[in-house]
Amino acid sequence: MDKNNKRLFIHRDMKPVTLENSVEIILTPQFYTFIRETLEIRFAYQAKQIAASLFDDYLDHATEYQYHVNKCQDQWCFFAYNIEEIDQFLESVGIEKHRVSKIYFAQELESALAEPVLLSEQNILQTIDGTVTLIPRQLMENDMEFNQLNIANEKLSSGITMGASLNSFISLKETILLSSLLCILGAIFIVEGTRIKSSVANDEALVSELLKKHPRYDDSDFRMTLLNKYQPIKKHEISKRQTIKEISKLLSTKSQLINLTIDKKNIKATIKASDSNVAKQVTRNANAKKLKNSNSGLDVKVEKRI
Amino acid sequence: MNLMTLQRYKNELIVLLALLFALSAFFYKLSQNSYVKENRTEISKKISEINTILTLKEQWGGKGLGSKVATLKTVVKSSKVQSFNKKSKKLIASYKELTGSELTKLTNKLINLPVQITNLNVQQRSKNKYTMEFTCKW
Repeated sequence: MDKNNKRLFIHRDMKPVTLENSVEIILTPQFYTFIRETLEIRFAYQAKQIAASLFDDYLDHATEYQYHVNKCQDQWCFFAYNIEEIDQFLESVGIEKHRVSKIYFAQELESALAEPVLLSEQNILQTIDGTVTLIPRQLMENDMEFNQLNIANEKLSSGITMGASLNSFISLKETILLSSLLCILGAIFIVEGTRIKSSVANDEALVSELLKKHPRYDDSDFRMTLLNKYQPIKKHEISKRQTIKEISKLLSTKSQLINLTIDKKNIKATIKASDSNVAKQVTRNANAKKLKNSNSGLDVKVEKRI
Repeated sequence: MNLMTLQRYKNELIVLLALLFALSAFFYKLSQNSYVKENRTEISKKISEINTILTLKEQWGGKGLGSKVATLKTVVKSSKVQSFNKKSKKLIASYKELTGSELTKLTNKLINLPVQITNLNVQQRSKNKYTMEFTCKW
């Protein structure tokens, strides 16, 4: 591989390399198992779902494999590989995994390898019956001419990345399902939060409007001062008026008002009854209205503390 | 963490991001909830206090009360108005020779005005004849 060539064939008898830049690697059949099938499947993810079962009879069940699928003409091309094994081999030949930008399968070079290519002293790479195959050189004739393949110029499209090849703990289907659920949940929380916040928006607007007209009322001490000033006035004045009305109800043609006084603390009235029965009636009514009362002959004195 | 590791745990990262989003949204909801809880009572109290003050001020110290109070002078004949001194926001008035019905009329008029009755003195001078003195302010 020269310095400008960013692609590299990976095979068991390759020599260690020193890399300064990232590299795209092309796996030879030593590192993957290939099956080509004609299936009534439309999408690659569907094909990937059945990939493991297709390789059931060909692979060692004790080893964990990764699968790659791509469409090749009217068929589906399935690749099974062990990324750990590839990783270990790459390390052994001096290729750090972070230098590997893309991994391709030699099968993609099916057309380019129609003529044999010399891979190493021991092996050649050639397409036989549509499948790229690694052939020991000793099986070939000694005077055989090899094609000079410039892999840097070959168009490769169906590559995988090192990271994506390693198994995730969560499958893509589960990822989509979980993420969607969490996003929906999050959206519900945001909508709910906004709705909760807006529930006091009207009150906040009302406060702003009131404070715009009366900015001094923003001070709670000032509000308390005003309330302490006006609320007792309201309470006392209502009490005075209520008591006056109650006293007036004690009066009749047989009971007359003699005097009525209001000062800071009390409301007092004297009612003169025409006879003792009327006086008793006035007293009873005063009691019913919870007015403090006392009799002095026909005079009934009623009193209420404000 | 290099790119490869990120790619390996891509699914987990997506779920983690979604989880973080859901958690942030949940905490946003909680914060809004506690904000509303803390502020709703305070805002309602503020509105109630301001409205109460405005109502009380209007009721017990509103403009135009002076002219309404002046009508107390015309409730009974002017000959029965002994004195009627209205100064600033205070009125001192006294009436004489009021009949029972006049006393009732005058008293009703007075208690229906939103003024503070600081002093009131009604005395029967003879049968069905009363004097009345009061001091009120607003």
